[in-house]
Amino acid sequence: MSAAAPGLYLSSTGSYPRIGDSPELQVLRKTIAALDRGERTTADLLDAENEMTRRAIAEQVKAGLDVITDGQIRWYDPISHLAGKLENVKIGGLLRFFDTNCYFRQPVLTGKPVRRDPLVVNEYSFARNALGHLPTPKGKAGKLSIKPVLTGPYTLAKFSHAEQTGNGEPESFASLETRAMAYAEALAAEIGALAEYGAELIQVDEPAAVKFPADWAIFETSLAPLIEARDKAREGGRKIEIALYFYFHDCTPLYEKLVKLPADIIGLDCTYNPKLADLIASAGSPKPLGLGLVDARNTRLEDPEVLAWQIDRMLSKIDGGRAYLGPSSGLEYLPRDRAFAKLELLGKVRAALMGPKGSVK
Amino acid sequence: MSREKLKSLGLKLPLFPTTSVGSFPKPDYLAKARAEFSKGKITADELRELERKATKFWIETQEKLGVDVLVDGEMYRGDMVAYFAERFPGFTEGGLVRSYGNRYYHKPIITGEVEWPGPVTVDWWKYAQSLTKKPVKGMLTGAYTIMDWSFNEHYADRRATAMALAGVIRKEVEALIAAGCKIVQIDEPALSVRPEELPIAIEAMEATTKGLDAYFITHACYGAFEQIYPGMLDLAVDNFDLEMSNNELGLLEVFRRQPFTKDISFGVVDVHSHTMEKEDAVRQRVEQALTILSKDQIWVDPDCGLKTRTVEEAIEKLRLCVAAAEAFRN
Repeated sequence: MSAAAPGLYLSSTGSYPRIGDSPELQVLRKTIAALDRGERTTADLLDAENEMTRRAIAEQVKAGLDVITDGQIRWYDPISHLAGKLENVKIGGLLRFFDTNCYFRQPVLTGKPVRRDPLVVNEYSFARNALGHLPTPKGKAGKLSIKPVLTGPYTLAKFSHAEQTGNGEPESFASLETRAMAYAEALAAEIGALAEYGAELIQVDEPAAVKFPADWAIFETSLAPLIEARDKAREGGRKIEIALYFYFHDCTPLYEKLVKLPADIIGLDCTYNPKLADLIASAGSPKPLGLGLVDARNTRLEDPEVLAWQIDRMLSKIDGGRAYLGPSSGLEYLPRDRAFAKLELLGKVRAALMGPKGSVK
Repeated sequence: MSREKLKSLGLKLPLFPTTSVGSFPKPDYLAKARAEFSKGKITADELRELERKATKFWIETQEKLGVDVLVDGEMYRGDMVAYFAERFPGFTEGGLVRSYGNRYYHKPIITGEVEWPGPVTVDWWKYAQSLTKKPVKGMLTGAYTIMDWSFNEHYADRRATAMALAGVIRKEVEALIAAGCKIVQIDEPALSVRPEELPIAIEAMEATTKGLDAYFITHACYGAFEQIYPGMLDLAVDNFDLEMSNNELGLLEVFRRQPFTKDISFGVVDVHSHTMEKEDAVRQRVEQALTILSKDQIWVDPDCGLKTRTVEEAIEKLRLCVAAAEAFRN
C-alpha cells in the first residue's frame, strides 16, 4: 500500500495462467499428461502444482501487488474444483463458462452436498508459506497478504443439477434454492476453517448473480450462512472480511443492490459497461470496492493515466477511501506474458495516481 | 422456406436433404503427419498430399452413404478460428490459454487492420467439388465468432471488430461463389454467448451475405438459444444448422411458442457420445421435428462436426442420418 494513496490496494482477482510458452512453464501440463499415461504419480502432480503456484505468487509480488492469491493453479475449473470435493457430488460433462471460450465440468448432485474435508484450506496454507519464503520487496514488510478464493453458493448451484434417480432424496436438490443453501452450508464451514488458519480476507465469486438477476432472492438468501460464519469467526477474535466479486456481466443495473449486500467489500467488473465508473463516481459506495478496471479478457493494455483519472474521481466517494484495484476477473483467460503485463499495469496506475511528486493528484 | 431459392440456384435436392456440419475425424495417417509436420519432419507438400488423400476418402464415403450435400471434412484445418487467423494479415498468434482442464490453445490476437489475402478455402472447395457431382458446401467461420474467439488490440470495440471481419469474410464468400459454390455455410457457434450482442452478429452476417447469390447456412451449437430466439431468425441466412439432440429436442418447445421461419439442418445424432443411437430413436427425432416444422424446412444432419469421433463412429452416425431421412422420403 502506498503512503500517498493510503486506501488503494493492488489486488489479484483470483486465477493466474497455469502455463507459459517456455518449457519450464509447461511443467504442470506435461505432468498431468504424463500422469494420464501412467508415467507419473500424484506426488509428481503435487510437485508440479506447487512449482507453478510458487511462480504465480512470485510474479504477483514482482508486479507490486498487495493482495495476492495462489493463482488457483490447482483448480480444474471454478465449479468442479470445489463441488467435486463435497460428498454426494459427481462431476459430469463440459459446459461453457459464461461467455468465455473456457469450459467447466458440471456437478451432478446425488444427495445433499456435504463438506467432510477442507476445500482450499491446505492450498491457502501452502500459498502463505510460499509467500513467506520469497524475499520481501522494499517497503512491503508485513503488508502482503494471501487471499483465498471460493466460488459462491449461488453460482455453484446455478451450474449444478440434481441426478434424476427417482428414489426420492436426490430429487429434492432439483430446486436451485435447495442446492444453493446446501452449498452455502458447506462454504460457511470452509470460511470458518480459513479464518482459523489466519485468512483475513476471503474472496467469494458470484458471477452468476449479475448474469441471472431473476434469481436475486435465492442468491441473497444463500449468502446468509457465509456472513454468519464470518461473524462467528469475529466473535472468536478473528479478523476477517469477505469480499464478494461479480464479473462477466454488466454490474451497472444492480449496482445499488450490490453495494448493500452484507459483505465487507464488493468487487465489480468495470469493463462490461464504461458507465459503471461514472455511476460509482457520482453515487459513491457505502463500503469498500474492488475495482475491476483492468480488462482480464483482452490483451490490450489500458492507459494507466486514464485509469488513474477514473480511480481519482471514485476513491473519495468510496467509504473510507478504501478500494482494491485489480483485473476485471481472474487472469487465466490471458496468455501468461499478457497477464503479467496487466499486473504490472496496476502498479503504473498507482504511480500515475500519485503524480510525479509522489502525492495524490 | 427456401426450396424456391435452391431451385433457382439449380440445386435439385430431395425432401429432407442430408448433410453434415463440417469436420470429420482425421485418419490416423493424417494425424501422425500433422504431428510430424509440426516437428519439421515432413514438408508442406507431403502433408498436403495426405490431406488431399483424406479429403478424397471422405467425399467418397459421403457419396457411398448417400449424403445429399457434401463437405470436404476440413482435413487441412485444426481450429475453426485459428485457420483463418493464421492466414489473414492483421492477426498475430497469441500465447497459450486454457480451453478446459489440461487443454490449451494459441488464441489469436488482432493487432492490425484485418485484410483478405486472397482465397484461403477456395482451392480446397474446388478440389472437393471436382471429386463429386453432388453439391459441396463452402465452409467458413463467421465474423462474430472470429471476433469473440480472438483478442483485439486494434479495433475500438467488439462491433467494429466484427464488422471489419465481416468485410473480409464476404470477400471469401464472393470467391467461393465465383468458383461455382452454391451453398455456403458460415459458422457462428459464439452466436448466443452474449445475447445482448445479437444485433452485432446480425449486422455482421448481413454485411457478409447481403446481395450474394448463394444458399446460406449458419451452424450454431451448445448455446442458450432460448435467450436469442426469435431474434436470431433475423440473421441473413436461409438455414440454421442446430444441435437438437444434445438438448433432447428442447428447442422444439421454443419453436412451438414462436414459429421457426427458416430452413433448419436438424441435428439428429449426438456427436459427443461414443454411443450409437438406434435407428428408431433417430427416426423419432425427425418425427418430433415434423410436429412443429414442415417437411420442406427440414434438412437432416448430426448435431455438430464429427471430428471428435473415430472414423468408424463418424461413418455410422452419418449412416443413421441418411437412413432417417430416407425413411421419411418414402
